[in-house]
Amino acid sequence: MKLSRINQLHFRFILLALLNVVLLTSGFQNLYSQNTKKNRVRIKTNYVKIMDGESYFDIRATSKVEKENVDVSHVDILVYNEIEDEKIKLGTITTDVKGQSRYTLKSINDIKPDSTNTYNLLFSFKGNDQFKKASKSFSFKDVDIVDAKVITIHGINYITATLSDPNTKNPIADESLGVLVQRLFKSLRIGEEFNNTDENGTIVVPFEEELPGVDGNLTFEIVLNDHDDYGTVKALINAPLGIPVVHESTFDDRTLWSPRNKTPLFILVFANLLILGIWIPVIYLITNLFKINNAKT
Amino acid sequence: MENHKTLIYDLAPRKFGKRGVIWTLFLVVIIIAGIVAYIDQLIKGQEVTNMRDYALWGIYISNFVFFVATSFVGTVTVAILRLTNNSWRTPLVRIAEIISVAAIIMAGITIMIDMARPDRLLNLFIHARLQSPITWDVVIIPTYIVISLLLLYFPLLPDFAILKKHFKKTKPKLSKWYGKLSLNWKGSVAQKTIQTKSIKIIAIMIIPVGILLQTIDAWLFSTTYRTGWDSTNFAPYFISGAFVAGIGALVTVIYVVRRVKKLEHYITDYHFDKLGKLLVLALLLYFYFNINEYLIPSFTAKKDESVHLNTLFTGSYATLFWFVTIVGLIIPIIVLLFKKGRKPYPMFFIGLIVVIGSWWKRFVIVTPTLLHPFLPIQGVPESWRHYFPSLHEWLITIATLAMALLIITILVRYLPVIPIQRTYEEQELLKTDKTIET
Repeated sequence: MKLSRINQLHFRFILLALLNVVLLTSGFQNLYSQNTKKNRVRIKTNYVKIMDGESYFDIRATSKVEKENVDVSHVDILVYNEIEDEKIKLGTITTDVKGQSRYTLKSINDIKPDSTNTYNLLFSFKGNDQFKKASKSFSFKDVDIVDAKVITIHGINYITATLSDPNTKNPIADESLGVLVQRLFKSLRIGEEFNNTDENGTIVVPFEEELPGVDGNLTFEIVLNDHDDYGTVKALINAPLGIPVVHESTFDDRTLWSPRNKTPLFILVFANLLILGIWIPVIYLITNLFKINNAKT
Repeated sequence: MENHKTLIYDLAPRKFGKRGVIWTLFLVVIIIAGIVAYIDQLIKGQEVTNMRDYALWGIYISNFVFFVATSFVGTVTVAILRLTNNSWRTPLVRIAEIISVAAIIMAGITIMIDMARPDRLLNLFIHARLQSPITWDVVIIPTYIVISLLLLYFPLLPDFAILKKHFKKTKPKLSKWYGKLSLNWKGSVAQKTIQTKSIKIIAIMIIPVGILLQTIDAWLFSTTYRTGWDSTNFAPYFISGAFVAGIGALVTVIYVVRRVKKLEHYITDYHFDKLGKLLVLALLLYFYFNINEYLIPSFTAKKDESVHLNTLFTGSYATLFWFVTIVGLIIPIIVLLFKKGRKPYPMFFIGLIVVIGSWWKRFVIVTPTLLHPFLPIQGVPESWRHYFPSLHEWLITIATLAMALLIITILVRYLPVIPIQRTYEEQELLKTDKTIET
């Protein structure tokens, strides 16, 4: 009798608890539904390799929220190196307010290729309250721009460089390289838009422009731009082919518009001579008044 | 000796009559109104003026330039006439010196009135940049004040000694003051030697200093790259203008002083005739520089400059421009070229319109240029593109003019306006010459 009473109480309690849960969840359904609807994140990756420098991946995370593209900021993206079935974690990067982040490789040797010499990377976002989890695979092959230099033939300067496979050391022919010279805001293209490498993997582009450069130095970029297999590869050359920029600032000079500690000497001398030339006789004249006052009759 | 007594009697300062007292009170009332307006300007700031982003120099600066120009009279009459041995200057120099002192003191005060923060005046000296024409102005004005005072004071020494003696019984207190100011003048050889030498030094020195003052005043404008001021002609243009303003003021004041103090025997038609010739010379010179200043730019003017010139010739400032040119310059030239025009009465009117013309001429130089900057100022109310002085500006400016007149009035009251000792010596010399001739 006692047992059945206890069971009855338990049943009522469970029923009440279940009812509560149903009522509560149904009551806040609308509120919950907004939070639970997560958006998809799109990860874009761009690989850039600078010869004799660093290589990096520029990552951008975006999402379409209410038909508008928004930057996904302040989220962690994990970077993996995938080799066959193995997945090695390289690190974690966090997007900035613009949804951008950069993962820098100090050396290509920090990651390993697969059997076809292809490097496979995976950028993975685990998801959070607002966004669903997402990932992006990126594969590329390593390539080098070698022997980038300036040569002079018959008084004309040429920019030359060779595209080659770093593993086989074979030249890569019929690929388009761009030659640019770095300027303040954007690099300036030199020569043709497309300079296809010859059978030796080499391009030769004449440089005849007269461009100003600090101390006469110009920085040239030989660029394999956004290639499907290789990404972007850049080789930089510094060469004294520019016209030296003459710094025309008069900041340190003694000018008519400079502060008082940099008054032109001719003004200092001339103005002070005038002031003294007038005030010495004036003082003499004032002393003459005393002399008259004290003169003996 | 009898002649000496008569001279002292005629030329010694006298107490003001009723008209003199009313005149002084009138000036004091105007000055008080100006001081009240200035205090209000100090409290509320330059907002009470109509100076804004465009007309950042207004009536105060044109008034300052007028005072600087008028102060040139000391240089012209005293120094130049002295060095060129024009003996007719004697009865006129003291008044010229008085005008010079009054004008340059008021120039210094006026420039301070234009400063929104006069408490920062010392910064102009502490942080002075010798490249700046403002600094040159800050240096030259006190210098010219000191030299003008010395120019007034040195020749006064013998007269102070005479006045000390003259008032000894009748006004002992005043006599004591004259005695102090006479610096124990006994007319000894040593004193005379020092005095003569000193006057000579000042007379020579005041010419370059006076020219420097006018030049710096002109350079304040011409070193500022603006239409109408960008002229290499500006310094001589200002010097000739100062020549006109100074002599014009001298003629006007001399006529009034002569009449009030009954000095017709000392300042005769002959003196007015000479002054008239000097004034017409000044006017012709100024007219020549005006032609240079306006005619040549009319041929070569670029767009901005032609807009400025059109404003003056046919635009909003045409009435004022042609008034100062025709009434203040051309008509006086025509009148003064005739002997009848150089008589005291017509000369007084000519002097007066020359002074009025000179004052407005400075306004024409300063304001229209400021209203036509090379780069228009964006986002300012339409009213800021025009300028007419506010009530505060008028009250303060008129008060400064009244102050200058009050300084002249007080100095005329207490100083012998015609040098007693020098007139006596000249008359004695003339007698001796006549005796020798007979």
